[in-house]
Amino acid sequence: MTDPAPDDRILRLNAALDGELDPMASLEFERDMRADPALAAEYRRLAALRDAIRRSAPREAAPPALARRIAALVEPAPARRPFWTGQRTLALAASIAAVAFAAGVGLMALRAPGGSDPVAERLVADFARAEIAGQPFDVASSDRHTVKPWLADRTTVSANIVDLAPEGFPLAGGRVAIVDRIPAPTLVYRHNEHLVAVTELPPGANEARGGGAIETIDGYHVARWSDPALAYVAVSDMDEKTLGDFVEAFKHQGSQAAEPSRR
Amino acid sequence: MNKPGAGPIAERRFREIVLPLLDDAYTLAKWLTQSATDAEDVVQDAALRALAALATVAVDRPRPWFLAIVRNAAMTWMARNRPKGLAYAGDMADLNAIDVRGGSDDPPDPEQALIAREDAESLRRAIAGLPSPFLETLVMRDVNGLSYRDIAEATETPIGTVMSRLARARSAVAKALKANP
Repeated sequence: MTDPAPDDRILRLNAALDGELDPMASLEFERDMRADPALAAEYRRLAALRDAIRRSAPREAAPPALARRIAALVEPAPARRPFWTGQRTLALAASIAAVAFAAGVGLMALRAPGGSDPVAERLVADFARAEIAGQPFDVASSDRHTVKPWLADRTTVSANIVDLAPEGFPLAGGRVAIVDRIPAPTLVYRHNEHLVAVTELPPGANEARGGGAIETIDGYHVARWSDPALAYVAVSDMDEKTLGDFVEAFKHQGSQAAEPSRR
Repeated sequence: MNKPGAGPIAERRFREIVLPLLDDAYTLAKWLTQSATDAEDVVQDAALRALAALATVAVDRPRPWFLAIVRNAAMTWMARNRPKGLAYAGDMADLNAIDVRGGSDDPPDPEQALIAREDAESLRRAIAGLPSPFLETLVMRDVNGLSYRDIAEATETPIGTVMSRLARARSAVAKALKANP
């Protein structure tokens, strides 16, 4: 079963459409499109086809009965925070007390009573997993013009990518998080050797209307805030103050560069 | 593969990795089996396989990992229950004959024409009519939203082959739409 390869022009068109060209190749492709109306027309045709396929063949939700059967294969997630239970409790409680003491701040916001927040926990787990795997993003680029279409292709909103390099937080890349079963764009910024991942929550995610207060989940700092259009969750291994600076910078730049983020 | 066998670590990984991907899994399985009922069986089977594997395997790229299991479960299921339907190698020649050069004899503004004639049902039929290697590539890319690298991983196929299958699949769908508007 050999596939004779379609010619490179077609492969490049498809790769451009799918956001799979590296930054230099993208630039070159855009230049070629400007110079070659036939190429541009082919690209539009292919994009129209792709859009039509997406509209006609959407992702479907698994039937609830199936989802229940499969969830029943394992024990349900503990209703109480695993955080506060089990053998880790003592060690964690001790370290939290130490942090609280050292930071000298009220950590009452650490866990709002009854404020179970599966979204933030999931995002922290994502962050931890990505960090351990040594792959904090799926598209590595400091160029938001590369990250943006990559994310736009994989999520239903196109991320509002703010440039925070002047503030000391260059963009490192992007990845997709799953929130309430919806792919949500996540931007990863770098600060020295630390990373912060900002996830734009899908509209209607019932979590995370927060004023920017920083809490700690499983050792990571988490900030939540929202602007009139969107809600965000940032997870980071930075210290609390640096994350606070980041959030302020993000809010500030975000409001400056506010653009309609519907695709 | 029953509950006690999996262990708490596997169960936690399962909740983190597999449960969020059920929609993707079901959608892929439904396209591959062309049946909602069969898709449920396939996803259930894949979930059991995943749970068993998670006892020993740590996964850092969940989507291609689990969708590979779903795909393999679908292939196994098709081979067992519908050997006739598994035209895995047979139909390749048809697609290889397709001219992927977009067709320079198209009327002006063909993308508009395509949209105007868009009929979701015939589009879905065109996709469903693709031989499996092309179908799975197209669905993973345009429906599940996987990257080329993820598709290569999930289908155990070199990335160049993924690219060429995708180009051919899209071209075949476009052709089918023009032939049967």
